[in-house]
Amino acid sequence: MRRIDNVTDLVSGLLLVGLALLALTLTWPLRLGSATQMGPGYVPRLLCYLQIGLGLMIIAQSLVTQGGPLEKWAPRPIVWVLAGLAFFTFAIERLGLVAAVIGLVLLSCLAHRGTRPLEAALLGIGLAVFSVLLFVEALGLPILVWPGFGD
Amino acid sequence: METLLGLYHGLTIALLPTNLLYCLVGALIGTLIGVLPGLGPVATVAMLLPVTLYLPPVTALIMLSGIYYGAQYGGSTTAILVNLPGENSSVVTCLDGYQMARQGRAGPALAVAALGSLFAGCVATLFIAFFAPPLAVLALLFGPSEYFALMVLGLIAAIVLAQGSLLKALGMIVLGLLLASVGTDLNSSLGRMTFGIPELADGIGFVPLAMGVFAVGEIIKNLEKPEERSLVTGDISNLWPTKDDFRRSWPAVLRGTALGSVLGLLPGGGAMLSSFAAYALEKRLSREPERFGRGAIEGVAAPESANNAGAQTSFIPLLTLGIPANAVIALMAGAMMIHGIQPGPQVLTKNPELFWGVVASMLIGNVMLVIINLPLIRIWVALLKIPYHLLYPAILVFCCIGVYSINKSVFEVSLLLVFGLMGYLFLKLRLEPAPLLLAFVLGPLMEENLRRAMVLSHGDPTVFATRPISAGLLLLALALLALVTLPIFRRTRDVAFKEEG
Repeated sequence: MRRIDNVTDLVSGLLLVGLALLALTLTWPLRLGSATQMGPGYVPRLLCYLQIGLGLMIIAQSLVTQGGPLEKWAPRPIVWVLAGLAFFTFAIERLGLVAAVIGLVLLSCLAHRGTRPLEAALLGIGLAVFSVLLFVEALGLPILVWPGFGD
Repeated sequence: METLLGLYHGLTIALLPTNLLYCLVGALIGTLIGVLPGLGPVATVAMLLPVTLYLPPVTALIMLSGIYYGAQYGGSTTAILVNLPGENSSVVTCLDGYQMARQGRAGPALAVAALGSLFAGCVATLFIAFFAPPLAVLALLFGPSEYFALMVLGLIAAIVLAQGSLLKALGMIVLGLLLASVGTDLNSSLGRMTFGIPELADGIGFVPLAMGVFAVGEIIKNLEKPEERSLVTGDISNLWPTKDDFRRSWPAVLRGTALGSVLGLLPGGGAMLSSFAAYALEKRLSREPERFGRGAIEGVAAPESANNAGAQTSFIPLLTLGIPANAVIALMAGAMMIHGIQPGPQVLTKNPELFWGVVASMLIGNVMLVIINLPLIRIWVALLKIPYHLLYPAILVFCCIGVYSINKSVFEVSLLLVFGLMGYLFLKLRLEPAPLLLAFVLGPLMEENLRRAMVLSHGDPTVFATRPISAGLLLLALALLALVTLPIFRRTRDVAFKEEG
């Protein structure tokens, strides 16, 4: 067997087939109905089969075509950007907007190697002040600003 | 006559102080994101959707559309001065625009880009005003099977005219439709693929999906590469083009406008396709094609006019048929739905003030944009110096607050995380996310129309082939698919998109 050249497409196809199989298991218990009276499961299942078909075609094509190897992954931005988002999710209703924004900025700044700590701190404070002024003061959104007594 | 009355009515709405203000805000934000590479209209419109909840629908759409066509103006500035496309629709402007800047003619290049865009914008607006109403009347004749066929055509056209692998784009469409089917089934009120999470009963949020894929995913991808220092080239002391520039530009502007207006109409068309096509056309028609790529002013005038015309006429399918032509327009469809307005032919009859107000605001917005872009060019040049590592945390903050503020839902913010990771994965695997978003918006409508059509035909699927309009639309979709698999077309399509290389 010769080496597979188009790994990007191979993985793309596998991803599509995998997601379709997941959707298929999730929608399996739903009633299918008939073409005239479609049940809740009819359209999703149709889509799953379609996607599996397309995924298999992409896989087949990847075996015969040229293409690059898989692009390298950069763990640093993934980890820190997502960590920032996770912190915001955790903090917005517990610690309030100010803490959530500062935390998000500090964590996501770690995703870029060259950012200086002072820069990050100033950016965090600046964005926190700006968000409070824009979203809470000017637009009047009911968001918790500080931890404690409600809005 | 009715059109003129409508336009007049629209102007009275667009000239209200609030609407003028938000038109200006939209134009300013559009220019800003157009100038900044790495921040596109899709992410920006997604970020601002929550803010528009607090505005009347007309004002909201005036601002959002201002962002979209404003980005076409701003994008040319970066392309000409820094040789980086601020927007993907200005990729071809880099070719000759940057060469002109290196020859010390950045000023005329910027001026021709802005004036060409103004002309194209005004023509395209009138095109919408005259063309949309009759199309809307036609669309009212459509039944469920026609609508279903039309949406199939829209999705197919969107990928045929876009870049990249056809099979992968088709896969992304189906995935988008599948994501759209998450949530409560309307007929049986049973949950589908909800994992028992109550928040998913209403379906996946449109905003976290769009922001996750387009903003968060892009940020992670951009951070992989070391930051590029942008070097501004050229002196912009003299803005005014010479007589010779005018002589060479005006036919290119006319052709670009015409081509852009037509290509913008196509589902999947819009700004980017228009600019590529216009550049290719100019090069082919020119008696001295060797000047292209060496600072030919036609190479700036044509694509810049075309992308602005295309950006504006791509509103027509949304306002008349309810079908968004591209990802930005899909977001505007989302904005309309948030306000309880179903995009489609009934907009013109039920919400004429919305239709005419938005159309008229485009005329005003285009004039504003020339003023914003030409005399104030130095401000935008200064903004080009904002480093990306200070920009992306701010984008993340606005995304998070934006998503949270829609439903005050922490769950939706966590969806942002999931879709951000997915968006990055898509970019890595070169799976185009735009068709996914388009399909996600059309999904519920397609399912509803499919079900209705099948009830009416008693389960007979041939209904799509026997009703003439739907058969015609489906045949067109098939023809497009067949066309794209033909080797000749494939090659020209690849060449058209590789013009930049």
